[in-house]
Amino acid sequence: MSTAEPPPEPPEDRTGDEGWQRLHPLSPMLRGGLFLVAVVGYLVSGVVDRTLRSVDDSLGVPGAPDTTEGLEFLARMPLVGASVLVVVLALIGVGSWVSWRFARFRVADGQVELRSGVLFRQHRQVPLERIQAVETTRPLLARLTGLSQVVVQSAGGSDSHLALAYLHQARAEEVRAHLLELAGQADETVAGAVVGPGDGPVGVTTHRAATEEEPVVTVPNGRLFVATILHGSSLALALIAALALGSAGALELGVVVLGAAPALVPVVFGLGVVRVKELLVHGNFALSRTGTALRIRHGLTELRAASVPLHRVQAVEAVQPLWWRPFGWWRLRVNVAGVHGSDGDDGETTLLPVGTLEETLAVLAILGARSDDPLVATALHGSGPDGGWVGPPRAARWFDPLSWRRIGYALSDATVHLRSGRLGRRVAIVPYARVQSTTLGQGPIEARLGLASAKLVSTPGPVSAGVRHLTVPDAERFLDVVGERTRVARRRTGTATSGDTPLAVAPLAPDAPRLVD
Amino acid sequence: MTDTLTGSPGPTGDDSDHVTLRGGDLGWRPVSSALATVRLIVLGCVLVAPLVVSVVVAVLVTPWVWLGTLAVLLVAAWGVWIVRRQVSAISWVELDEEIVIRRGRLFRTLVSVPYGRLQYVDIQSGPLMRAFGIASCELHTASPESGGALPGLPTAEAEELRARLARRGEAQRAGL
Repeated sequence: MSTAEPPPEPPEDRTGDEGWQRLHPLSPMLRGGLFLVAVVGYLVSGVVDRTLRSVDDSLGVPGAPDTTEGLEFLARMPLVGASVLVVVLALIGVGSWVSWRFARFRVADGQVELRSGVLFRQHRQVPLERIQAVETTRPLLARLTGLSQVVVQSAGGSDSHLALAYLHQARAEEVRAHLLELAGQADETVAGAVVGPGDGPVGVTTHRAATEEEPVVTVPNGRLFVATILHGSSLALALIAALALGSAGALELGVVVLGAAPALVPVVFGLGVVRVKELLVHGNFALSRTGTALRIRHGLTELRAASVPLHRVQAVEAVQPLWWRPFGWWRLRVNVAGVHGSDGDDGETTLLPVGTLEETLAVLAILGARSDDPLVATALHGSGPDGGWVGPPRAARWFDPLSWRRIGYALSDATVHLRSGRLGRRVAIVPYARVQSTTLGQGPIEARLGLASAKLVSTPGPVSAGVRHLTVPDAERFLDVVGERTRVARRRTGTATSGDTPLAVAPLAPDAPRLVD
Repeated sequence: MTDTLTGSPGPTGDDSDHVTLRGGDLGWRPVSSALATVRLIVLGCVLVAPLVVSVVVAVLVTPWVWLGTLAVLLVAAWGVWIVRRQVSAISWVELDEEIVIRRGRLFRTLVSVPYGRLQYVDIQSGPLMRAFGIASCELHTASPESGGALPGLPTAEAEELRARLARRGEAQRAGL
């Protein structure tokens, strides 16, 4: 909270020139949010406390020992306390006003710009064609005041994010839609320059973008709750609890368990926090489609809405933990360039926190992997070489006794499908046009068994795509074939175009139907 | 095994330039042997202190510490062997559209980075490497884990490589 003096010279004209706009006047307060609440609360409670105690005193009730130490002086003189409070509030108000006057943003010249800061000026800009995703978030305080934050994400780490905090909710939605539309157009012009005009229905789909919104999937909170509980860690917790209770009868063992209990507390707490956080992040989940982007809404307390342009999706992963198998549930996650699913915050990279098979297939279909494609079915549930899958040889059972028959890769016209996991299932789908690089690796034991592992490197994100323990010739062929196809795919696309579905980007077969409409 | 390609036009089977884990007929190029020298010097600097200490203690206190000296010497010999093997295992080749880097003997890795995916190329050299006229060349793509590194190229060659990679990267640029 900056409480600097008023500026020496006023900032440029209010409506000023080249379309600079201001954020909502309440923004600095909200950014200072909790701090402000805490300070005010502390001061007010001190004054109230004092007043009450003076009432108590006057009634002859012996007051409780004075515990407010720092503000004891203020509390003793309510008038001084009140005036200090007023001054502090005024300073905060002036500071906020100044900081508000100085923070402006605009969308012009092919980029989004944000200027802020009074003493330390900051000017951040993101070129429109670098925008990877635009999301609106509404933390609790902002929610109470009807404001939203617009976060523009660009490739290049979290430092390159630009946050417009805060705007009116309706205005935020407008800005988001506007930016997405502009970003789509910027892509289109770039693509037009490279691919040339008349290359498919790109324009048509773009102009329809960001207007109408078709809902795709809504995840009921009940299902999410069950799915969140059904997790290895919480089952382990239940096991621990059962053991503790069960052995409480058998005295000797019970003592041991009770002795170990305090050591387990942090573990239990940590696991619990992770589960609850997952519930908070993925609650109220709804996925919809607006033209060329997917719109994700989620958050139990903090409502967040993120838009991921379809053509920015780099890789898709479907995961089914063992405990979800009876229900047939899957989780879908994607890698999006510039949006990192790191530090546990996979809000923007999760396209489906827990979905039924139909829902999963529906979302995959939007991404371009048709559900009638036999590869998708065998990727999700199959094992063995049926349907064009190449997997590890028998020798690999020393590494993967359960899953060696399921591990494998298969190639479609536009994508590499990789699957693994016998108990919990995992499938990754990477378009040829999105492969960053390819690696082979071989450890000493693999070398003895004549095996090697291959990996497709994607942009940072939750999805990793590799296939372990192929025979050396198979791994080398994988490198060869995938290398050739990525070459062709890169030549085809040149650059990503809005309107492409990620998993069907520039199909290698020239007559393959476009999957957008 | 063309049945792995599910009914789509496969790659044009040009068998001459297959990249394999153990090298092959492609023109694999080694890195400079000066890299081994540099690494050996570093190894020597690390090991000289325990060697001196153990010799001094052995002379002044108890001859049992000669065993320690022996151990240090063994480690040194092993290190020399490892360094020589590691450096000689690094090789690279520039293909039409990728640069491929192989390294390691016990743990072999091979990374194939398309020129069109290169974001930028770093050239670094410390004082020791500069004294031997070599530099390391690091390739960066949009993913932090995918870039390869060529640790010991003659400085001029590294600069040339960077220029060449930049040119090809520009020509074959592929969008994210």
